[in-house]
Amino acid sequence: MIMKAEKFYSLSDLWKNIKKLPQKRKYICGGTDIAVSLKYGSLDIDCLIDISDVKELSLIKKEKNHVFIGAGVKISEFEKNEIIKKCVPALYKSVRYYASPTIRNIATLGGNLANASPCADGVLALLASRAKVILNLYGKKRVLEIKDVFIGPKKTSIKKDELIEGFLVPIWSHKSVFLKSIPRKIFGISKAGLCVCADIKNGSVRDISISASSVGPVVLRCLKTETFLKGKEINDKTVEESYKIIKTEVSPINDHRSVAEYRKEIIGVFLKRALSSLK
Amino acid sequence: MSRKKENKLSFVGKGIERVDADIKLEGKALYGDDLDFAKMLYGVCLRSPYPKARIKKIDFSEAQKDPDFVKLITAKDIPGSNKWPVVNDDYPFLAWDIAEFHSQAVAILVAKNRFKANELSKKVKIEYEELDFIDDIHKSITKKENIFSSYVIKKGDAFNEIKKCKYVIEKEFTTNYQVHCYLEPQVATGVFATDGTLAVYSSTQCPFYVLDAVCAITGLSSNKVKIIQTVTGGGFGGKEDVPALVGAHAALASFITKSPVRICYDREEDFRSMSKRHPSYSKVTYGADENGKLKCCIVKYILDAGAYSTLSPIVLWRGTVHAAGPYSIDNVYVESYAVKTNKVPCGAFRGFGQPQISFAQESLIDDLAEKIGMDPIDFRLKNIIDKNKLTSTSQKIKDSIGLKELIEIVRKKSDWDKRKNLKPSANNKRRGLGCSIAYYGVGLGAKGRYLDRAGAYINIYRDATVNITVGNTEMGQGALTVLTQIAAETLNCPINNIKLDEVDTSKVPDSGPTVASRTTVMSGNAIIEAAKPLRERIFKTALKMLGSKDMIAKDGYFISGSKKIFFNEVIKQCWAERLKMSEQGWYVSPPTTYDLKDGKGDAYIVYSYSANIADVEVDIETGFLEVKKIYSAFDVGKVVNPVLALGQAHGGILQGMSWAVYENLVIEKGVMKNPGFTDYIVATSCDIPEYDVSFVEKDYSEGPYKAKGMGELPLIAVAGAVRNAVKNACGVEMDSVPMIPEKILKKMGRI
Repeated sequence: MIMKAEKFYSLSDLWKNIKKLPQKRKYICGGTDIAVSLKYGSLDIDCLIDISDVKELSLIKKEKNHVFIGAGVKISEFEKNEIIKKCVPALYKSVRYYASPTIRNIATLGGNLANASPCADGVLALLASRAKVILNLYGKKRVLEIKDVFIGPKKTSIKKDELIEGFLVPIWSHKSVFLKSIPRKIFGISKAGLCVCADIKNGSVRDISISASSVGPVVLRCLKTETFLKGKEINDKTVEESYKIIKTEVSPINDHRSVAEYRKEIIGVFLKRALSSLK
Repeated sequence: MSRKKENKLSFVGKGIERVDADIKLEGKALYGDDLDFAKMLYGVCLRSPYPKARIKKIDFSEAQKDPDFVKLITAKDIPGSNKWPVVNDDYPFLAWDIAEFHSQAVAILVAKNRFKANELSKKVKIEYEELDFIDDIHKSITKKENIFSSYVIKKGDAFNEIKKCKYVIEKEFTTNYQVHCYLEPQVATGVFATDGTLAVYSSTQCPFYVLDAVCAITGLSSNKVKIIQTVTGGGFGGKEDVPALVGAHAALASFITKSPVRICYDREEDFRSMSKRHPSYSKVTYGADENGKLKCCIVKYILDAGAYSTLSPIVLWRGTVHAAGPYSIDNVYVESYAVKTNKVPCGAFRGFGQPQISFAQESLIDDLAEKIGMDPIDFRLKNIIDKNKLTSTSQKIKDSIGLKELIEIVRKKSDWDKRKNLKPSANNKRRGLGCSIAYYGVGLGAKGRYLDRAGAYINIYRDATVNITVGNTEMGQGALTVLTQIAAETLNCPINNIKLDEVDTSKVPDSGPTVASRTTVMSGNAIIEAAKPLRERIFKTALKMLGSKDMIAKDGYFISGSKKIFFNEVIKQCWAERLKMSEQGWYVSPPTTYDLKDGKGDAYIVYSYSANIADVEVDIETGFLEVKKIYSAFDVGKVVNPVLALGQAHGGILQGMSWAVYENLVIEKGVMKNPGFTDYIVATSCDIPEYDVSFVEKDYSEGPYKAKGMGELPLIAVAGAVRNAVKNACGVEMDSVPMIPEKILKKMGRI
């Protein structure tokens, strides 16, 4: 049972007061995952710290070489924001696949990462966009790769009281494709998801990053496939070859949402489709 | 009384607005959880966490310390009987000694508020001993004691005939569960009064089933108990039998605590413990001669009943009777079984044992047509039942059959004969059409004939408003509106004068369940029976007032020449003359002759029919199946309200499609893995196919204004049409529902 909920409006206020709060405490921003955990009793806490109106967390800023995205920006915001549309197209494209409109109006990217689900749509887009995570603990920041934060299913390296402040997404010349396999036309948790960001010139891959969801313990980068494709011309042969490689790179499981062979095949099919549409 | 000439109907056949539209749209309807009672307590069930376990010890000492704790009720506290009366009466209200499925109710904890009831229920320690369980029907069926019920139909000599057939086809099919997904979960409130009477407010299709259960568990007599149906937010069969269990629990808790007690399920509890559509296995064989005439059909049909028999015996019976399909076949052999497993007990769901076997036999009919080299529609037309032909139970179809016309309508509308020209929307997609047909025996049939009667009470007040009490329920399907139309027509009474209420068992005789698409026919006829003498008095008075020998009764007016008087004026005069302005009606369904020994005879009073064509597109790389359009034509007799009938058609088609392609309840080792809307996938409004619905109105002479039944028919054969369309699109012969992409890719050999 929740004993206490405390709301803060700035980071300075948060760091000043956080240590006075009950020990079993947790941040809440959108709450779309936390509400579910609370309902099913999988969360043992005494205090929720409401950071949904902390102003530093709700910024989207374009800087010289990167875009800063606050961890508390609502998902639906990405569809309306011009910086995101131009500089982080994968994230822009992910929005329509992300949960449902009502959830998108309240859920956040920070929560998507903190929840550490292998099927996280936001993380899938961030990973292929090569985003880094800014963590903040009592005012002290560290910047980590997503893979070093999201270390297992429902497992992160985030320390107690440490806050995901936002993401740094490099600005690089690329196009992107976001594909997600769901069980009906809309509203579904992914059976498998693939995001490709690539810089392709005259049919050749100059640079590429590929991420996949729901096909391993974490949302993962498909580095072998990336390495294979870099510098290659996109043609039937390379597409077919990369289809084979990516299927060896993922390690899906059977569960109530799908079966491993299907997930593997879909990742391959999605890669083919992504490459031919980026060509 | 002459029931007027067809072309002069004022209210029947009109698409009048639902009488309950406003309260539902404006949020004013009082559903089960909206009612409030002073000092109401809340009950919550404690449930077994194992597929099968012995209950060793229940320790609630920790929960008892809380000031909000009221009572913990177990089987030994039941003052009446711990056998829920359904068909075989094998299901205890609360598990005693052994719990036979995961989430079976073991005890009820009552607390002062809902939150505390849930909190405290977690503090009760129940010690179990896990026992071996069976979750597979093929293992279970090998033991005779696991077979809850079994039927056979023998017509001609199928096993001998099959040897002579030029074309023989035999295949196995399976179907999975379907969850009702009614918007309003199960809810009931028991209100025990100081005078020793007990009222139960229940979200239910079958208040009289709740009455029987409440009397059984409390030991109270029927005249001390009344069941009041609350506005019911969806049923689809899921509010047929199980609300009796929920209502009995609430009644018991109220009876023991002497306070009102509410029990309201959350979605997960509802998923885990309430009834479902039965998973099925079937093996079907059809044989045809060199001319494409169906000569024989052999079916083995098994339903996975779950841990208790509940309604399985009658679900299975309906499936058995319809198993050979709507075809005229001289040699039929059907054997069927409902088999126990340690899983949630399955029960009624729109279609009631028919959709599963319809999927199998309509798939196989298509495959047989292909084998013979005939167009699947031509093949069906050659073999369908028709007037004066015999069904598989040797029932002669006497009247009211439009099947042939229905097939021709969908064939024409879908441009079936040019289906090869259909273009897919992308290179990796394939498009196809598939056909299916169905018949549906209206009402409870021979097996349930003792329950097939209904009552109605009509009371006309001095101000000419009319109160009508019936024993069948509104659950969203439109019964209140359709029955109002029938009453209005018979009395020549304006719609707005009439008020029909949710059922109160103390005000109307036991009218059986609101199931089997029987309400229009049964309660409709009961209303006509009640209205007949009233009509005579009203019409006679009107004639007198008009001073005429002839008149026209229309739209609530009585007209003779230039004279015109309104219904209200006539009623005023009737009262002035002290005429009897209230009557009771009673309708009993016509006789059936079915013999359970060999499955011969008239199984149902009449049949409704459907023909369906599905237009689908399959992504051959991902296996994703999209149903683009469904053409359906129905013969349900006279359509009482065309707008509501269309709604029933759309809803049924969508629910059938959803079962066919999406809905996949996963139970592993007796434990449900996706008990909620996150992972149990149902069609959303975005997944709706385009609908093209037609009606052919073939008069049913015994029906109210010639109507038959409608509710279940649209769902039944959708899966077969979709499956045959998938085959037409990409050559894959699916044999399992739901047709999820994983299965399609596997059949294609791509995974």
